Amino acid sequence: MVDAARHPKVEILAYSEVLRVDGYIGNFRVEVMQKPRYVIAENCTGDGECADACPIEVPNEFEMGLAPRKAIDVPHGQAVPLIYAIDMDHCIECYQCVTACGHRDAIDFTQEPELLELEVGSIIVATGFDSFDPTVIPEYGYGPYPNVITAMELERLDNSAGPTIGRLIRPSDGREPKSMAIVQCVGSRDQRFNEYCSGFCCMYAIKNAILLKQMIPDMEITIFYMDIRTPSKGYEEFYNRAREMGIRFIHGRPSQITEDPVTRNLFVEAEDQELGEVLEFEVEMVALSTAAIPRADTEQVASSLTLSRSPSGFFMEYHPKLRPVDSPTDGVFLAGAAQGPKDIPASVAQGSAAAARAARVLSSDTWEIEPIIAKVDEAVCVSAQGTRCGLCVGACPYGAISCVTGEAAQITSAKCHGCGGCVAECPHSAITQDHFTDAQVVAQLSELLRDKPEEKVLAFMCHWCSYGGADMAGTSHFEYPAVSRGIRVMCSARMDSDFVLEAYRRGAGMVLVSGCHPQDCHYITGQQIAAKRFERLHRQLERLGISPERFRVEWISAAEGEKYARVITEMNETLDSIPREQILAENREARATIERRLQRWKNSPQMIELMADLEPETSAEQEVPAS
Amino acid sequence: MTTSNELRIGVYVCSCGSNIGGVIDPGEVAEFSRTLPGVVLARENLYLCGDPGQNAIAQDIREHGLNRVVIAACSVRMHEPTFRACVAEAGLNPFLMEMTNIREQDTWVHSHEPDAALHKAKELVSAAVAKVTYVEPLQPITVPVTKAAMVIGGGVAGISAALDLADMGIHTYLVEKEQSIGGTMAQLNKTFPTMDCSI
Repeated sequence: MVDAARHPKVEILAYSEVLRVDGYIGNFRVEVMQKPRYVIAENCTGDGECADACPIEVPNEFEMGLAPRKAIDVPHGQAVPLIYAIDMDHCIECYQCVTACGHRDAIDFTQEPELLELEVGSIIVATGFDSFDPTVIPEYGYGPYPNVITAMELERLDNSAGPTIGRLIRPSDGREPKSMAIVQCVGSRDQRFNEYCSGFCCMYAIKNAILLKQMIPDMEITIFYMDIRTPSKGYEEFYNRAREMGIRFIHGRPSQITEDPVTRNLFVEAEDQELGEVLEFEVEMVALSTAAIPRADTEQVASSLTLSRSPSGFFMEYHPKLRPVDSPTDGVFLAGAAQGPKDIPASVAQGSAAAARAARVLSSDTWEIEPIIAKVDEAVCVSAQGTRCGLCVGACPYGAISCVTGEAAQITSAKCHGCGGCVAECPHSAITQDHFTDAQVVAQLSELLRDKPEEKVLAFMCHWCSYGGADMAGTSHFEYPAVSRGIRVMCSARMDSDFVLEAYRRGAGMVLVSGCHPQDCHYITGQQIAAKRFERLHRQLERLGISPERFRVEWISAAEGEKYARVITEMNETLDSIPREQILAENREARATIERRLQRWKNSPQMIELMADLEPETSAEQEVPAS
Repeated sequence: MTTSNELRIGVYVCSCGSNIGGVIDPGEVAEFSRTLPGVVLARENLYLCGDPGQNAIAQDIREHGLNRVVIAACSVRMHEPTFRACVAEAGLNPFLMEMTNIREQDTWVHSHEPDAALHKAKELVSAAVAKVTYVEPLQPITVPVTKAAMVIGGGVAGISAALDLADMGIHTYLVEKEQSIGGTMAQLNKTFPTMDCSI
């Protein structure tokens, strides 16, 4: 901490919050608000005479409410920076601090929030985690029973810098306890709350047990666990040391904790799974190893930086194995428990890893961006012709498009991430995405449906999730029928409804549109744009007479290989259950309407070539050519 | 590289040892590929991602004037950068190379239906050939870089990142919403497994 404060290249902006982030890799503009301390940083000597003089005491959050603080204070004695701040929610403005501060003249009640506009080339998100609130598990009695505490409260109570100067006491009577139960997996590995393993709780529980045993050698300590997880270097040895010290480990998750109202001792009821017996232990104190959970403001940070979140709610990395500290937004990196529960060694390592990844950008004068971006054909854009449109603006998750009636829509290349949502939303074919053009998609589609299309499942996949899911089905060797044919685009937002219609026009039996789950979308809201579009398409297909079961929309993550295989298998079963003649008839009947709609595609030499069989004067009577 | 508008597509079918070759005959896919419009040569290779495979592609681009390349092998998520670099080295714009996945999305999931897997591989190659017919060379977009960094969150991970960046000479803003840095770590007593102080 002190190293950071003393480093000439580190500028600490404490008591500050990021309000807004604009820009792109190499060129971010960040608006930061410095909250007023009502203390002039340069004048504050950190001696704390102001706090001594302050008459107001409130619970100290740093001490988990186990000690008081003053209305003017620092969180703890070793705080960096050591600058006092006035808590205006509790200050009574008696000005005794002003008197105590004296000639230093550091107190300033007129301070206002200060807005800073900072320019940076890359950003590392290391916003940490929150602790699970155990009051939502009433059977553990946290709250009503004073001697049931959380692991973090225990940290403060056995800490020599804590409120009891390292002496463990029972909150009910201030006595030193002679027995303690530590309960693992409180709020984690629990289908009711969080499915994931919090990772570091086994180790901190063992650590606290060892510390307590060293402080109070005759103390009986029992750890109730589901599994003890000690996978890092030196951790298993640490666990063995705890066992050798006489700390008892019981394999069982307590079902209930009750209290003796007179002694305030606690009864922990659990099944010892090794013995297959239900046990009841009487202990003087219980500590709950609460899960690490995503920060309450994760959603807000995610939206300002266009990050996505894992199903657990923590920030999602670009690739779980190959790019574990990159976020989906270029130039933004993840470090520490913000990405998932992590202990100190892992957090430090990830911090260094993120720094190296960020430095990779910052060490060069320029940066190259993949050119798969969207471009507007100004001659075709109806806005340029004076029509109010702007559908592309609404489809862009990055605010990269501006559209003023009378002028063609403008795309800021460096802001465009290449999802293709605007391309598919533009009803006039005025926008093209390089490397994923309409012609390139239709060319693939026509080849994949050249032979016996009615026996096939045509699958549109997004690069990040469902294509990854299909890959995962492969690496896991989950077999599925060889009827599927895939087309990859970057995002489900790029999947034009007309691609689906064109597939039926070319005789497809089944069509699958697949993409990321909403929280996983690599283009923030791309999936939502697609979801809305395909809801509309469902209704349109119904009007066209295409059986609804012949079109399916599925959100499949890169981890869901099993789901991808299952979806294709099910779609094949559906396909088998529909008579072939019916499929052919439905496609035949829908053809004329689809062809009228697809006339818009005949606006480039490539598309005219690809859609050569599509005649402007197509009538409903036209025969379907033999496939 | 391209001297005329004539398409000169090279198709490369990877055997990936037995991962692909154990289910379908890559030679048969290559043979089929030669019948596709614009394809001037098609080859199979035991490991296209290996040095001999990469060299063969680069050599063909130079000697046969290939202006499009189709790689039928594994996932783009696995080896697209490898093959892009390979064709670029031989002077071809990397966006004129297209991969199609006949491993994860074919032989690994249809190993019990080898005939159907072979048929699918051929159709996937046809589709990739059709796509490269319409691809254009693209140039990366170059943007300037502001030589400063921001770390949001002053806990142990953020401090570690900020110090490393600063040591590399990069001006680093360390933004912390609380009054002081240190985060959760600062609240902890001694830390495992070495039992040293957290601050």
